[in-house]
Amino acid sequence: MSGAALVELTIDGKRVAVPAGTSVFDAARLNGIAIPTLCHQQNETPVGVCRLCVVDVNARVFTASCVRPAEPGMVVNTASEKVQRARRTLLEMLMADHLSPCARQQHSGDCELETLAKQAGIAEPRYAKRNASRGKDNSSVSIAVDFDACILCDRCIRGCGEIRENFVLGRMGKGGTAGIAFDDNEPMGESSCVSCGECMVSCPTGALTNRGVTATALGSGPDVQQVSPERLQELPVFKGVSGTFLSLNRGAVVQRRFRAGDVICSEGEYGSTAFYILDGKARVSISTPMAHVKTQGALKKFIGKLSSGLAQRQQDRREEEADQRWIPIDAPVDLNYDNPVAELGPDDLFGEMTCMSLYPRSATVRAETDCTTLEMLRNVLDIMQRNKTFRAQLDKSYRRRALDSHLRSVPVFAELTDDFIASLRESVELVRYSPGQVICKQGDPAEAFYLVRIGFVKVSQAHPGGEIVLAYLSRGDYFGETGLLLGDVRTATCTALDHVEVVRIGADDFRRMIEQFPVIRQKLEAVEQERALMNRQRLSVLHSVPLDSFLAQGLMEAQSLLLLDLNSCTRCDACVRACADAHDGITRLVREGLRFDHYLVATSCRQCLDPLCMVGCPVGSIRRRNSLEVIIEDWCIGCGLCAENCPYGNINLHPFNVTVDDPERPGRKKAVMKQKATSCDLCKDFAEPSCVYACPHDAARRVDPRRFFAGLLGQAPGIARKV
Amino acid sequence: MHIDHTHRKWFTASLVIFGVATAVYVPYAAHSPGGPRGGSTIGLAFGIIGSAFMAFAGLLSARKNVPVWRLGRAQSWMRGHLWLGLLSLPLTFYHAGFRLGGPLTSVLLWLLIIVVASGVFGAVIQHYLPRVMTLQVPGETIFEQIDHVREQLVAEADRLVDGAETAEGTRRDKAGGGVSLAMQSEVAVDEAAALRNFYAREMRAFLTSGGKRHPVLSDADTARSAFEGLRTLLPAELHEMTQRLGAICEEERQLRRESRIHHWLHGWLMMHIPLSFALLLLGCVHAITALRY
Amino acid sequence: MAGAERTTKKLAQRIDLNYFKRPHPFRRWRFWLSVTAPVLAVLWLAWCGLAGNQRVYSGGKLSSAHAVLVARCNACHVKAAGAFSARASDQACLSCHDGPIHHANQTFTPNCASCHEEHQGRMQLASTADASCTQCHLHLKTSGSPTKFVRNIRSFGSAAHPEFAALRPGAIDPGTIKLNHAVHMKPNLAGPNGPVQMDCDNCHRAPTSNQAFRFDSATGMPVTIAEKSQLSIAISARAYMAPVTYAKHCVACHGLQFDKRFTESAPHDTPQVIQAFLVQKFQQYIGGHSNELREPGPDRTLPQKPAPLSVRLLTRDQWVAERVGESEELLWRKTCRQCHALTLAADGGLPTVAHSNITARWMPHANFNHERHQMLKCTECHSGALTSHETADILLPGIRTCEKCHHSGADAAEARCFECHTYHDWTKQKEVKGKLLLSGLGCGE
Repeated sequence: MSGAALVELTIDGKRVAVPAGTSVFDAARLNGIAIPTLCHQQNETPVGVCRLCVVDVNARVFTASCVRPAEPGMVVNTASEKVQRARRTLLEMLMADHLSPCARQQHSGDCELETLAKQAGIAEPRYAKRNASRGKDNSSVSIAVDFDACILCDRCIRGCGEIRENFVLGRMGKGGTAGIAFDDNEPMGESSCVSCGECMVSCPTGALTNRGVTATALGSGPDVQQVSPERLQELPVFKGVSGTFLSLNRGAVVQRRFRAGDVICSEGEYGSTAFYILDGKARVSISTPMAHVKTQGALKKFIGKLSSGLAQRQQDRREEEADQRWIPIDAPVDLNYDNPVAELGPDDLFGEMTCMSLYPRSATVRAETDCTTLEMLRNVLDIMQRNKTFRAQLDKSYRRRALDSHLRSVPVFAELTDDFIASLRESVELVRYSPGQVICKQGDPAEAFYLVRIGFVKVSQAHPGGEIVLAYLSRGDYFGETGLLLGDVRTATCTALDHVEVVRIGADDFRRMIEQFPVIRQKLEAVEQERALMNRQRLSVLHSVPLDSFLAQGLMEAQSLLLLDLNSCTRCDACVRACADAHDGITRLVREGLRFDHYLVATSCRQCLDPLCMVGCPVGSIRRRNSLEVIIEDWCIGCGLCAENCPYGNINLHPFNVTVDDPERPGRKKAVMKQKATSCDLCKDFAEPSCVYACPHDAARRVDPRRFFAGLLGQAPGIARKV
Repeated sequence: MHIDHTHRKWFTASLVIFGVATAVYVPYAAHSPGGPRGGSTIGLAFGIIGSAFMAFAGLLSARKNVPVWRLGRAQSWMRGHLWLGLLSLPLTFYHAGFRLGGPLTSVLLWLLIIVVASGVFGAVIQHYLPRVMTLQVPGETIFEQIDHVREQLVAEADRLVDGAETAEGTRRDKAGGGVSLAMQSEVAVDEAAALRNFYAREMRAFLTSGGKRHPVLSDADTARSAFEGLRTLLPAELHEMTQRLGAICEEERQLRRESRIHHWLHGWLMMHIPLSFALLLLGCVHAITALRY
Repeated sequence: MAGAERTTKKLAQRIDLNYFKRPHPFRRWRFWLSVTAPVLAVLWLAWCGLAGNQRVYSGGKLSSAHAVLVARCNACHVKAAGAFSARASDQACLSCHDGPIHHANQTFTPNCASCHEEHQGRMQLASTADASCTQCHLHLKTSGSPTKFVRNIRSFGSAAHPEFAALRPGAIDPGTIKLNHAVHMKPNLAGPNGPVQMDCDNCHRAPTSNQAFRFDSATGMPVTIAEKSQLSIAISARAYMAPVTYAKHCVACHGLQFDKRFTESAPHDTPQVIQAFLVQKFQQYIGGHSNELREPGPDRTLPQKPAPLSVRLLTRDQWVAERVGESEELLWRKTCRQCHALTLAADGGLPTVAHSNITARWMPHANFNHERHQMLKCTECHSGALTSHETADILLPGIRTCEKCHHSGADAAEARCFECHTYHDWTKQKEVKGKLLLSGLGCGE
């Protein structure tokens, strides 16, 4: 913001100075003066169609403040008699066309138009009401369209286009027949609308309202309590969250009570919710056997089974991990390796990654005292994370509890003194990246050091043959020090694979750290040399072994591949038929795809570690169950996003016959063809995948690629970890 | 299919059954007055067991129709089909006492021989050809979709060639600079003409001829030299497109090869399956009439 | 953009996901062929059924004898009303054939088809396999009295088959005619017209032989009772050698001259006949030569002592009686006895001649056919003939001789049981009343 010129103007007699380019509306807002609007929304490009924000600038005509940039020396009157009269007239005209009370006004009493009208004291508009109804469109599953309430403010169009970039909504018609339309003026349910709800949330009136159809999977029971939006809004963390939103997503957040000793969530389970502790204390721990176990009083209760896991653990530990002392988990605090138990208390949020990115639970949380928690789905968490209050709290909590351990978990930083950490604590930035966003690009100048707080980051290098993924980094991993050390450019590109949050340590702080603790520099350089060596080794291996194709095909990502041994397969299609047989005639597998060695990697869900398909599902219908398999629930709306996301084409849309309420004949149902996404679900209803079962030549296998191909790749599994 | 160590148990069991059957047959044949007969107790036993094996072998078709029912893994059925089906031949010979008998029984025995022989042939083919297919057809696709894929290749090639003309036209227009517009467009058309002509005359015919041999493009080497010759006639901008067209031709060749191999892989079934049904049907008739008479 | 880069997604998206549900020429052909083949089979059988042709169900070609029945399955496969089975039962066989039981003491009677297997192609039904016989005779059990036959006969051959009964140790030829084969077969034997070398077939021939015997009597004396016996159960007319008869084979050299007054021989007949002949002969003679009635006695004149000549004057009867007595003396005591076993009567009556007992058929339980072996030299099998001096020698060849040609193997003569033995006791054969019509066989249509 430095260096922007300031513009001085007078608003309602007050002299104000705002940066150049600020609209009059914003100038007023920044200085505490509210101007009523209808079509203007902060997150959308102002268009100035409702004209409610008009202000008097001593010009020939009033000007719409939302689109008019502030000019130096402008004298603005936002609430003069004339202006108010003009607004009143506008409101009356709008009310004449607006069937009142509209659905929103009835339901939650916050139709913006009607509220403004009431505030302006308009009981009945003077103008004749429209006699022909503009109709309703109830074809969409989740959003009801009432054209009679629409004021043509275009907020929905901008929401759908600018914010969500779906570009479904547009304008149609002229004059009295003007209105909003979906695609080529199709019914909403038949258009390419993905029911994201942005239009509905943007709509100031009840023209687009929630139908409340989609069910959520938060379950019910004696411990579960539905919470009203009002109660939620009382909580400090929900301050600023739209009440509309909360009431629209009733059921997406529930209150759950746990008694002391109850398990709130278990590690390894797949889930789709996050928990926010309202009151009570819970203990978070990891109970799988680990190498170093100092059995101390409290630990004995949790670390019950010390079994062969010990031996395995030991083999996995490599030299650099010897110093690792913190296990990153999906909570505000990390677990100490030697004593993997920590405490969570009120105002702690855990299960973010599970909720946002559908990873398995990273630890077991058990209520120590009676606990009251809020369990929420992704859409609620998403909104909360955008909410400033919540963010600030998360931030503070992280900095207080986890940042230290994170920094210390970086082996080279083990030497840092507490003071230095304290100073770092305040100057680091927590930056969020959405899936696919590039954090730093190969060849760019290096200006920061990054620590991953949550999410997955892909580290890749561009090579003549293509892009080679060097590593996948997750919570507690770090990157970016090479460029800083060498004072050079980035040697690799780092991309966020899912919702990633990183701790960004600026170059200055980094240099300060190096200067104060020279031993760190040595360590970093040693690590750098090791990495370079391994990269060289890997590149040489790449040439001799199909590792590049292994990685390029993304086989590393997969937890389970369907391989067809082409030396045995007689191309008889028995697998495809069996799959179709087991799944209502729709095959979930296609015998086409790239080859690896003499196997055909069939196009069938790979149960990716990082399920790209799940990212973005607007209704959360694609999820994992308690084991590997990906399932798509019944309420899939057929938006096709998962099919698009899946880089291997494993998800396909098929028309299904579903019965829906017949809009023309209420109370009756009719059958319609709806597109739904289908994907391989590992035949969990059967003992064995049907394709494998039905192959007469034992050519079809479901395997874990890294273990299966370990010999071929010449390396032990676990190749993609810290390089 | 791979007849490998996983078949060992079946092979051993079959060997044992064969051994036992032979051990029973030899003394029985030696001692029966008039020689071994299908109607004698032991002969009948052979016949029944042989038919049971044949019936099981025939049930494989039915099993494949309900792949998801848990009636035993497809592999086990396949192996049973192979080995028990093979065993049905000697057992039936033992039943027949190595005699052809009357018209119906001769037909039956010949049918059995043909079916088992075609089955063995098929097993050998299916043991070796998948590997051949894998090596020779890297661009393999699903056999039943070859026509569909071919259509897409043709559409793609059409698009490319149409694009060549317009791309060429626009490029020339943009280059401009002192040359008259008329001359530019002439040059543009000429340059792409070689590609267009080649495509229209040779390549499209090759792609759409449904497998018929093409004098130039059916063979990889002549095709490569043809495309190289073509490249010399074209400006550099069109080289990538030419390469892509060459790749499409190569894919078409691979599809043809795949088709041929697939026919070998599954063609023998045209003899094996119908004759086996006829065999089973006539076998039932024989069982009834032989027991009757 | 063509997708110069191949990705799984692009490849998979080329495919129409319902391809496997759509018909494809390959599968269509397979399906239709799989339908056609059984349908053709059914049509074939239906065609046969409609044409009334049941031959398609035949188990093989019929034997030559039954070939005419090929279109008439129900000639043998008789179906009882309401029953499923239409097996060829013994009843069916017995409607045309008789198969008398083998032995009263057999423990079970196998059914016809178990030995005579039909539908084995153009062969002789009577050629049963050894197994048909050995099913009893390998471990022979009888019901009733124990058998004197060997109990374990496996096949033909000195190891598996006992020696022929006639040649058991201690067995002798029961014939009473004294014959020395060696003498008869020696070279320079005194014959009727000079020395001769006799040959086997001078005496041993089939009964129906119409070739003249070398030493036959021109008179052709009829075959007497004794020679006729035992030939009635011959398989063929030329199977066995006719018993040697005096009239055919001995008369040329062994004449029965009885008196120098006559060149002819006495008849080869019973002593009664001979005596009658002699009487008649001498009576006839004396009628023409009455001067012989006066029989001068022996000249007893000594040189110094003349003696009166005694003369006997006999009556005719006396003279005949004396002459007959003398002839009989000659015949009974010398001539006949040369060959026959003759017992003189104690009281001077006619002697009794022992029955000649010449065995016409040595193996009553087995069939032998000399005609089939006629290419061989007689002494190849009857090797003892040239050196046999005694009548008691049995010149029948033993099993080892037969075994030389008749043993198992493709290059040997038939050695199966049926070659020599029959199961059915044909002495008990019953008449079969034929009921088939030509039209029933489909002949002459």
